[in-house]
Amino acid sequence: MSAEHGSARCVIDLPVRTEWKNIDLVSTSVRDCFTAVDLDRDECHTIAIVVAELMENAIKYGCWSAECEPGFVRVRIDESPRRTIVSVENPVDPDSRVLADLSATIAWIRSHGTAEEAYRERLLEIASGKVGKLGLVRVAFEGNCDIEASLSEDGRIVTVTARCHV
Amino acid sequence: MGELCSNLTSGELAIEVEDLADERIVCRWRGRSVERDPAQVLGPYFEQLLEAAHDRCVPLEMRFDSLGHFNSSTIAALIRFIQSARGRGVRLVLFYDARLKWQRLSFEALRVLDKDDNLFQLVSV
Repeated sequence: MSAEHGSARCVIDLPVRTEWKNIDLVSTSVRDCFTAVDLDRDECHTIAIVVAELMENAIKYGCWSAECEPGFVRVRIDESPRRTIVSVENPVDPDSRVLADLSATIAWIRSHGTAEEAYRERLLEIASGKVGKLGLVRVAFEGNCDIEASLSEDGRIVTVTARCHV
Repeated sequence: MGELCSNLTSGELAIEVEDLADERIVCRWRGRSVERDPAQVLGPYFEQLLEAAHDRCVPLEMRFDSLGHFNSSTIAALIRFIQSARGRGVRLVLFYDARLKWQRLSFEALRVLDKDDNLFQLVSV
């Protein structure tokens, strides 16, 4: 973790092994780190939620077989006053639909007037029995984040970036 | 009368039950619900709670105000639980801590599931 106290900017950049338990370890550590640099309690918790949800997606949908590299999730948090950028990257099978699915979800969120509207609609979908993925929509709503997804030039690394106004 | 309800411990999550037999069943959530597929454990557990509440015609209270965190998969499991309770005619009351932003946002959004049928209530503490 690096911190520039003059500009109150903090950066955390971690390669994280893909065991599920590491999501909670990292997200609570991030929350505690930002608590230590005197961010508001709610703000720290919101950043932790965004990190946890993006890591869950990365571990669930990443490619973790031997031919995919690297064998870890990279988590980066760049925090400064009034905005926090969380990005999580993971390897994908170049033939997979991971980016297309992410892009479709992001477009669906943006098709609503607000992230809150999208979130409430997704809750209703789940209530009606549809299998709805809630994680990214929660990031957009609770983190007040604009989300983007991109693919590396070689098509093997997906990065999801959440620009949050927490 | 159905069996008294038991506590649940799963990973970082604990649900402590105060079974007030003929009055209500109170479930206090503590810790963190962060499993990959929480519905696998919570689904059957919720079914037991609903069965007990239905058999005795008592409401179920879920108290989340001491919970540290839950993931979106837990929210999805909770939504299915709300629907299942309504389907069985079991009154469900969720308590949350509105002073915590994450709880306020997560739970107040669930008002979208309120059908004004007195079977589902959200209470901030």
